[in-house]
Amino acid sequence: MSPELIIALISGAALFGVGIYGALSQTNLVMIMMGIELILAGAMVNLVAFWRYLHPDVAAGQMFVLIIMTVMAIEMAVGFAVAIARFRAIGSVEMEEATELKG
Amino acid sequence: MTAQMFFIGFFGLAGVWFGIVVFRTYSMVRSALALLFSQTALGAMFLSMQAEFLGVLQIMMMATEMSIMAIFMVMFMMDPGGLGEMDMTHQKRLSLGVGITAFVSAVAVAVFVDWGPLATTAPDAVQQTADLGLELLGRSMLIFETAGVTILTAMIAATAVAIQPVKKASCHES
Amino acid sequence: MNLIAIAILAPLFTALLILLLRRTPALLALLGASVACVASLMLLANVANGINSELLLPGLPDMPLRLIATPLTALLSTLVSVIASMVLVYAVGYMQQDNEKNRFFATMLLFISAMQTLVLAGDWILLLSAWELIGLSSYLLIGFWYRKPGVKVAATRAFLVTRSADLGLYIAAFILIASTGSSDIASSLNTSGGAAIAAGLLLLVAAMGKSAQTPLHDWLQQAMAGPTPVSALLHSATLVAAGAILLIRTAPMLPPEVLLVIGIVGGITTVVTGLIALGESDLKRMLAASTSSQYGLMLIAVGAGVPMAALLHLIAHAAIKSSLFLGAGVFQHSRESTLLEQLRGVGHDRPKIFLGFVLAALALAGIPPLSGFFSKDAIIAASLNSANIWILLPFALAGTLLTGGYMARALRILWQKKGESQPVNGLRWMGAGLGVLVTLAVILAAFFPGIESLLNFQLSETSQITAEILGLSAALTGLALGWSIPRQRLLGPLLPWANRGFAIAGGFDNLMVRPALAIAGGCEKLERILYAGVLATGHLGLRLARAARHNDEQRIDAAIFSFVRSTINLGSKARKLQSGLIHRELAISTVASAMILVFMLITLLVY
Repeated sequence: MSPELIIALISGAALFGVGIYGALSQTNLVMIMMGIELILAGAMVNLVAFWRYLHPDVAAGQMFVLIIMTVMAIEMAVGFAVAIARFRAIGSVEMEEATELKG
Repeated sequence: MTAQMFFIGFFGLAGVWFGIVVFRTYSMVRSALALLFSQTALGAMFLSMQAEFLGVLQIMMMATEMSIMAIFMVMFMMDPGGLGEMDMTHQKRLSLGVGITAFVSAVAVAVFVDWGPLATTAPDAVQQTADLGLELLGRSMLIFETAGVTILTAMIAATAVAIQPVKKASCHES
Repeated sequence: MNLIAIAILAPLFTALLILLLRRTPALLALLGASVACVASLMLLANVANGINSELLLPGLPDMPLRLIATPLTALLSTLVSVIASMVLVYAVGYMQQDNEKNRFFATMLLFISAMQTLVLAGDWILLLSAWELIGLSSYLLIGFWYRKPGVKVAATRAFLVTRSADLGLYIAAFILIASTGSSDIASSLNTSGGAAIAAGLLLLVAAMGKSAQTPLHDWLQQAMAGPTPVSALLHSATLVAAGAILLIRTAPMLPPEVLLVIGIVGGITTVVTGLIALGESDLKRMLAASTSSQYGLMLIAVGAGVPMAALLHLIAHAAIKSSLFLGAGVFQHSRESTLLEQLRGVGHDRPKIFLGFVLAALALAGIPPLSGFFSKDAIIAASLNSANIWILLPFALAGTLLTGGYMARALRILWQKKGESQPVNGLRWMGAGLGVLVTLAVILAAFFPGIESLLNFQLSETSQITAEILGLSAALTGLALGWSIPRQRLLGPLLPWANRGFAIAGGFDNLMVRPALAIAGGCEKLERILYAGVLATGHLGLRLARAARHNDEQRIDAAIFSFVRSTINLGSKARKLQSGLIHRELAISTVASAMILVFMLITLLVY
């Protein structure tokens, strides 16, 4: 039982934790998006590790990673578009000020 | 084995450390660069796990994305240089708790689950790429078609949201 | 059969016609009455030839309504219609000045119709109905001048007294129907034993009420408040005759004990009411008391076991008493009063009328060859022949004596020269009616043999002479006494008592009215208590309702509202989750996912 898999998984877990910390604690939209990037990266690391150490013959594992990369790209594109619109409307992208949907 | 293990460990650590740096530094540019380095380290980690295509892809993509992100950060941040040293965080303890909980649970799963015997060899890069291509155009055609459409939609949506509405001085059309 | 229907329906139809047309009531009334008269006479002729007719009407199952024309009923029907016609002729003149002729004639015709039904009735149900109707007509006619003070009281009193006595008739009729199973009068007379005694006594009670026998004689004197034609027709010849007719028709059934009681009641009545008549100061009231007295004599005859004698006297008395009343009516119009004091000497002013009055008075007293003599003679003979001779004979002779007494007194007062009379309208009509009836009163004796053969009856010859002598002597003595001696000397200490109508122990006022009013007062008190009770229950109900409302408002509503408030509070607290801040929402979702993860972990590890 070699520890490569465990190490990779632990790294993925750590990235995931840091990403969550960042997404929840930052006030700026861009920083939140950075945190989300880290979360997705952690998921990718886990996936690649699983592919490499459990099913290296199956190409579908790599495919899943490709999809996550696609998701990352899309999310960044749309997110930054929203940030532009918001910045134009208010003048900042601080999430503390986004109380329009307060119920 | 051991080399692989060492490299995975090293790059993983690098990725995690740079990720932490992203949120600890006051300078925005440095955050962006730290993220860039973190993603690159992950790309290297992929390479060390013999997922060549993915690794290269990761490095290339992340380089571009992080650059763009750096531009955006400079545009939208209050203090891009970070010289004001303002604490721009909220609900720190909660988020810390949640992050640590997530980390611990994931680690517990990773450690306590019996993954079975580990594969020792992986196909070589050419073979991987060929398999990936065949997979893409074979079984997973529908997924990527959908992904393609989704990307198109996202592009259009992003463009629409980001377009500044043209202000007409004397407009009487809808 | 048709004659029976005509005799009953002609007056009724005419009454309706009068009420509808409201003009020439007198003419229509005379027309109706004469049609009925002709019908009854024809009925009598038929019966005399031996043709008994019958009219059956549908009634209760097994109890059809029956109208029969036998010798007895046809005779009575003729009597009623003839006297009614003559009284109506008289009434045309008497009521000339009155404004309410329609009502008068219509009610009179109604009465005539009802009386005809009564005498022609063949079954108990029809008899009872007709009995009620004549009581109603009497009430309406006595109270005709209802605006005068005291008239309404008199009418009500007459109605109440006779109505109470009618209860006896109802119970007797039910006993007879129940014991024989048929409502036919003739066949129901087959009762015997205890039922017969009970029925007989109850029939006597009814007869006492209708014929104004003691102690129920007061109503007749009060009834004189009505117009004189009413007194002449109802209260001398027909309505009061109904009681005697009842006893005459049911006489075959009555057992000897009941006959004795009837005789005693009749006898007491004769004497008591005769004394009252002697002490009276009002002419019509005197005549009323005299009517009670004569009917007492008839009851004596029934009690002696010879109802036919009573029938003869009934027929004679009808003609006589109605003539007397009609004469009194003329005197009333002449002096505008009926008090004997006011009527002094009116005989001089109205000599022809007075002549008729005298003839009728002598007939009543029993002077031959007037009809009253023969009928009184029959009664005295019957009492002589009866088993209870020493009870009935003295009563009969005393009655005859008193009759002569009060009639002579009246004649004396009317003849004394004094006073002024007023002119009277309609004298010719009144005279005509009076004349016919006086003639009848005089010559009726000639018909008696015919009547006797019709009814298959023969007055016994043995005591005829004795009866004639006794009767004549009593009558002459009475006449002499009444003419010569004033009433104070005759009656002596009895006069004040007689004036009060021989009231015993305060009379009916004390015996009946005061206890009845006391009971009514007691009932009112009871009702007040009950009413208070009901009110209290109501208040209790209200208090309960208020308590329930309080409970509802304060407790239940409070509970509901507090529940509502707590829900609103909960809602406002939950509202805080919706901060709109992205980081908070993100935190919530991550915490939730973390919890799910932990849970999953635990299951995985344990499993």
